[in-house]
Order: sequence, then structure tokens, then C-alpha cells
Amino acid sequence: MANASGYFRTSLGEDLVLLDTRTQKYSCAIFCALLLFAPFVAKPLFIDIANQVFLTAIGALALMLVTGFAGQISLGHAGLLAAGAFTAGILFKEFAAPIWVTLPASACIGAVLGLIFGLPSLRLRGLYLAVSTLGLHFIVVYVGGEYETRRGFSTGIALDPPSIGGWSLSDGRAWYFVLLAFAAGATLFSINLLRSKTGRAWRALRSNETVAEALGVHVAGHKLLAFVISSTMTSMAGCLFAYYRSFVSVEAFSLFLSIQYVAMVIIGGLGSILGALLGTVFVVLLPYIVEWVTAILPLTASISGLIFAINHTVFGVVMVLFLLFEPRGLVGIWQRLQNYFLLWPFRQTPLPGSR
Amino acid sequence: MDAPETLLSVEKIEVTYHRVVTAVQGVSMTVKRGQIVALLGNNGAGKTTTLRAISGFVGMDDARVSEGSITYKGQRTENRQPHEVTRLGVVLVPERSKVFENLSVAENILAAVPGKKGKSQAAVAYEYFPQLVRLREREAGYLSGGERQMLAIASALVCAPELLLVDELSLGLAPRVVADLIERLQLIRGELGLTIVLVEQNATVALELADYGYVMENGRIVLDGTADRLRSHDDIREFYLGHVQGERRNYRDVKQYRRSRRWYG
Amino acid sequence: MQLAVNIVVLAAIYALISCGYVLIYRVSRVLNLAHGELMLVGAYLLYSTASLLGGSPVTAVAMAAVLGLLVGVLVYVLLMRRMTGEMVLAAVLCTIALGVMLRGATVLIWSAQVRHPMEALGWSNPSLVLIGDARISLISAILIGATAVVYAALFGFLGFTRWGIRMRAAGQNPLLASQRGIQLHGVYALAWGLSTFTAGLAGMLISLDSGLDGTMTMIGLKAFPAALVGGLDSLAGALIGSAIIAIAEVLLIQFVNPLLSDVVPFFVLLVVLVIRPWGLFGSKEELDRV
Repeated sequence: MANASGYFRTSLGEDLVLLDTRTQKYSCAIFCALLLFAPFVAKPLFIDIANQVFLTAIGALALMLVTGFAGQISLGHAGLLAAGAFTAGILFKEFAAPIWVTLPASACIGAVLGLIFGLPSLRLRGLYLAVSTLGLHFIVVYVGGEYETRRGFSTGIALDPPSIGGWSLSDGRAWYFVLLAFAAGATLFSINLLRSKTGRAWRALRSNETVAEALGVHVAGHKLLAFVISSTMTSMAGCLFAYYRSFVSVEAFSLFLSIQYVAMVIIGGLGSILGALLGTVFVVLLPYIVEWVTAILPLTASISGLIFAINHTVFGVVMVLFLLFEPRGLVGIWQRLQNYFLLWPFRQTPLPGSR
Repeated sequence: MDAPETLLSVEKIEVTYHRVVTAVQGVSMTVKRGQIVALLGNNGAGKTTTLRAISGFVGMDDARVSEGSITYKGQRTENRQPHEVTRLGVVLVPERSKVFENLSVAENILAAVPGKKGKSQAAVAYEYFPQLVRLREREAGYLSGGERQMLAIASALVCAPELLLVDELSLGLAPRVVADLIERLQLIRGELGLTIVLVEQNATVALELADYGYVMENGRIVLDGTADRLRSHDDIREFYLGHVQGERRNYRDVKQYRRSRRWYG
Repeated sequence: MQLAVNIVVLAAIYALISCGYVLIYRVSRVLNLAHGELMLVGAYLLYSTASLLGGSPVTAVAMAAVLGLLVGVLVYVLLMRRMTGEMVLAAVLCTIALGVMLRGATVLIWSAQVRHPMEALGWSNPSLVLIGDARISLISAILIGATAVVYAALFGFLGFTRWGIRMRAAGQNPLLASQRGIQLHGVYALAWGLSTFTAGLAGMLISLDSGLDGTMTMIGLKAFPAALVGGLDSLAGALIGSAIIAIAEVLLIQFVNPLLSDVVPFFVLLVVLVIRPWGLFGSKEELDRV
């Protein structure tokens, strides 16, 4: 971990450890304790928000892996979530499959889709993955819509809560712990993936593909791997989403949802796991904050009908502001804060000629 | 007779790429009106960077002049956009992408924004490079090396330069073609009163043409003087012009090592 | 026969929209994913000018068109200009954000109700009869004409006028263009202005024909594959790409499944991406783009 005061690891063992200083270990322990005790004291609304954050975080981490590290922008995230959700829904309706079948099935579907839609990106650079994933989104949504109309579930597919050995998962608090486990697992997986050979390969190919290839990194393979891993994770998140809401319908997976995920990655800060998490919290909370603000301000009732539009506008404005003024996102702000306190009473002035 | 005025004055500039790589440090140059000044040095010495610093960087280069100043006719021009510098009269003929590959020769010449002085744009270009007239409809990407260089200089002339910066005139060209180009360049200079800064790896060609020269190594200027003085300088003769005194004995006589020892030791 | 008419009309719509994508991409290598939303803004501007100047519909249309151009220039000057030094990725993300912002803003300003600029202008849109019993609405016919005029004008401008050549030059080699005195910001602003002008024109005509509400952005998005199939930096390609996609879409809707309408363009896109990624007429991307 690089910070303003320096980098002090001297052995491989030290290097591999996730938390090294005592401060880090204590703050992590306190944070975990807070997370574990929160649901017993918080209101159901906050538990629901927390659940949403955990669920969304998995998808955001997946997108961060592809966009922030492997440098490929994906606009089809909603399509991948839909794929996972519909897999769960279809398997449940047709075969009454339990969760321990649907979850892996979603993962497989995700991987296959990742393979199919990642393939065009091998021959092309930059924008073309964005474009082909856009295609993915529409095609998946179409297939889902077709299934709905053909099978007569025009309002959507309702799912039973998942049950494991007779105990069914329907309580918000129970979901909290399950989703927390999944989110934590996804985070750890991502962190370790990035510290592995694959992660280093991605960092290389993001900086300069030609040089990476010359150094022996199999660029095409790693790009595809990034996309496949990411889509598998996202698909699983979609499956969990279906169970959490007990409902799957095509309308929930709009292009705006894809854009929201992209925003999480940008606002959080490209190239950082912490960024994905911070971005998720920010984007999930934003509509609630907007709602709260419009409720407080003495505006007429007609405004409340426009809440969707207000959300859109505020969202777009926030994204633009971050892109223009804080390209390193929330993580950039966090690092600047950290540096300020670590270096105090000194201050870091950028070198002349640097921005 | 008045001493010719100083047209361009580069003072202790430092050029930084990507905010971390310093390509050029402490470089100072003076160019007087009517002179031909040569900038010599090997690959990576910083000659092209210096020229580009004078001409201006665009955002995509992620480069800037982080220290020092560049003054042209009394105005500070460092860190300005290339088109502003061009409109002041300082025009660059680049080393690599010097023409618009997918446009025809005629379109290349039309694309250049003409400078303030009198003559109509295309006329200037075709007057000094009549060979381009019959090549008007050909796509620039299909021109030969010599023709491409002619087009590059021609389109630069359209911008009515007072100071012409030429980067690697002879790169990749046969000696006969280079000789033709030099003759043409001297003619243009005489008729239009141009001042020229020439970056060249081929020191023989450069010192033949130039009045004054600067030698760069590793981003700094290590030697400067009139062309005569440089031509007779022992080190230049050995390292750049290829004349060796005595026999070569062992690896210690290798260029790089001896030069480093002599110039930095 | 009606099918053929439908194809031509749809192709004209896609062509008129996709030339905007091509213009901006060709000149500044940026993919403007807010194009659909800019279409929407253009159409809403017509609705506003029509409501304000009910008495003189022609002025309303002209004013809306000019405003469309100004909006494009403003978008460049206020927003996209700061992205010109950055990675293309950042610029594209910026256009996405812009699109989201515009989507919300249009609802806030003009509400989500379906609007009918046609009524506001006081014009009518009769159905004309062509060969056989094929019918085409007046506005659709005008749209086909407008597309033809716009393309002819753009070909002429880019191919033969000095500033058109300079725009192409700036698109090919921005550094050299700048070194030859071409002011890049001006050229980019012009490209954005022209692109938004055509988007506004398309939006206006579509809204005159079938009413105005937020779903128009979907058509904008569907036209994007048309631009890509033809090659994102080729106007001729956009025409041909639009034709191909229109043919595919109309035929598949008619003979297979009407719901396919949204999917077909992207399906064609994927097929083309796999076979010939830089489109039918595009120039191969250089190796270190993005």
C-alpha cells in the first residue's frame, strides 16, 4: 500500500499480508465489528439499503476489474445481471431448481456470455468492447422479454425465497449476513486476483498493450479472461438479486442501470477496489439523498412526481463533475485527505510542471 | 551594418513528459535573423523535443516546458498551442508524421492555414516545388520519401514562416535527394528571407549548410559555436564526422566511452 | 411495395442520425453516446419555438435548427473541450454522463407528457399515395429529402471546401493540423455544432411524424450500429450501413417477430464486428489508439 509517508516492507511474507500495520488491523477489526452488529440495532430501511449496497458491490467490483484494471469499458452490465436473474427465474419456473443449482448455472451462463461478447474485443481496441456489450444488453433483454411474453409472465417472474435444507432465507437480517459474506468474498477475491500473475498482466496490458505483448503477456487471452471473470461475477450477482427481490422482470434491467454501474466505477475511482466500494455506496445512496432533500425543501407536491427525472439530472451532473474535476474519483479525494494528515505539519506541493 | 536582431531566444528550458520524464534540461539557444542554426546530436539527445517545445505541444503529448522561457520577437511563446505559434511565424516541418497521409497533395496544401503575407497560398508552395504540380491528385501516403519531404516543406511555406524549424531533413533519403532539397532550401531562404533551425543527425550535411551550431547530448547542450569552429573541433570531427586520429586499439577507444570521459570527466 | 417504402424511410432516418456520429468521430475520435439525447433536445426546442411562435411556423423551424447548432457548440465549449487532452475513454464516459443529464433535464423542463409539435406548428401530415397502394406520410417524404440534402451538403463541404479539408486533416493528424495553423478547438466545436444540427433535424422530423417523448433516444441508439457497420469515420459507410440495417430490421419485423425491432441493429452490428471490425468502409484503427 503506497501512502505519503513511504513503503516499508522488506520480506515476501510481509508483502503478501493484506493488513500490515497495527492501526490497519485495529481499524479493520472495528469496522468488521460494526458491520456485524449493525443489523441488530438498525432500522429495516437501513438494512435494506445495506443489502442493496452489498449486492451492487459485487457487480461494481466485477466492472472495476474489467474497466479499471484491464481498461475495457463495458456497457452491458445490466444485460449480464439480467442474464443471471433470468437464469434463476427460468430454472425455478421450469424445473423448480433450488438455489444451489441456479447459482452455479448463472455463473456458467455468465462465463459463456463473457466469452461470446469478449471475443470481438480481441481484434479491436477501446471503444469496440463498449459497443459489443451494448449489443449484449439488448439481446439479453430481448430474450428475457420473449420468455416473459411466451410463457405468460408479462409482469415478471416471481421466485420463492431460496431454501437450504428446509431453512428459507427471507428475513432482511438474514439476507444481510449472506450478502455481506458474498460481498466480502468478492472483495477478497478481487484483491487477491489483482495481486496475482493475472492482475499484473492486466496492469501491464492496460498501460501499453504492445509492450505487454512484447514482454510475453498473452494480451488477447488476458483481456478475455478479465471479461469472463467479470461476467461470471455479475451473473451470480444477478441471480442473488433475483432471489433478494423474489421477482424478475425485464424492466428492472435498463440501459440506465448499466450506466449507473459505470458511474460507480468512475465516481469511485478507476483502478481501485476501494474505489468500487466507495462508488457503490455513493451511487446507491444518491437517490435516497435526493429524495430526502426534496422532501425537506418546501417544494410543491408536483415535484415529487418528477423524482425520477431529478435523479437522472443529478446523477448526470455528478458524473460530469467527477470526470472533469476529480478524475481519480472518491479514492483520489480519500488519498488526498490521507496524505494531508499523514504529512501534517508538512504539505505536499506538486512539482512545477505537474498538474 | 547593424547586427542582425535576435529572432528566437531559448533560455534554460526544461521539458517534462508525463510529468515525470525530463527530456531536456537547461537548454539555451539564440537564433538571429537570417541565420541557419544546426542542432546536432545522436538519437535521444533531445533535439526533436527542443524543436517541438519551440513549436508547441498539444494535450495528447502530455508534455510541457516546465522551466525556462522561449521568446520569439519579444513575445513569450513557451507552452502555447502549436497553431498560435505557427500564426506568429514559427513553422515546424516535423520528423515523422509530416503530411496528411489520406489527403491528396493539393488538399495537403489547401489544409495549411496561410500566413499573413501577400502571396496566395498554393502559389508559394508550387512555385518552389514545381514537381508537386503534377502530383496534385496523388494521395500523400503514396508519395516517395523525397516527394513527401518536398510536400512537407511546401505546406509549411504556405503558413508564411519567418522562422522555419526543420526536423531531420535527410532522414531516410538518398544523398542525391538530400542535396537537391538543400539547394532548394537555400534558394527559398535567400528569396523569402527565412531563418532556419535545422535538426540533423547527419552532421556533415548540417555543418555544410549552417552558420552556427549547437551539440546536444542527453538533453543538454554540450558544445556550441560557428560552423567553422565546429567543423575543426577535434571531438566533433571524431564523434560526429567520423574522422579518427591514429589507430583504434581496443574497446576503450569506442566512441561512447571516450566521449563521455572527455566531456564529462 | 409498402415494405420497400418502409425500408427507405427507416434507412433515411438512420442515415440522418448516424451522420452525426460519423462527423464527431471522424474529426475528434470521440464516440458521442449522447447523440440520441441531443436529438431529443432538438425536437423539444422545436416544440418550444413552435409554441412561442405559433403564427410563423417556418421561423419556428429555422430557429429550432439554429438553436440545435448552438447547443452542439456549447456542449463542446463547456464540456468536451476539457476532455481533448485526456484518453478517449474519458471523453466517451463524459458523453454518457451528458446523455443522462440531458435525459433528466428534458423531463424537468418539458415534462414527460407526449408532445405534438405538429399541432403546435399548425401543420398537417397527410398520407401520400405512391406506386401501387404503398403509402408514405408527407413528413417521411420530407425526411428522405432532408437526408439527401444533408449528405450532399456534407460530402461537398468535407470534400471540396477549405474548412472541410481542414476538418478531415484535424481528424487524421491533430498535431500536424495544429502545426499548420488549424485551431483544433474551433474545428471540434464546428464538428459538434454540425452534428447536433443534424441530430436536431432528425429529432424534429421524427417528432413531427410520430409525436415527441423520451423514447426517441432509442432510435438514436439504434442508429449507432448503422454508423459502425459502415465504418465510424466514413459518411458513405453510414449511408450504406443504414440501408443494410433498415433492410434487416424491416424484413425481420415483418416475417419473424415484431419485438425484434430493438435487437436487429445490434445483432447486425455484432456480426459485422466479428467479420470486419472496422466497418465496411472505415479505415483500420491505428495501433495505439486509446
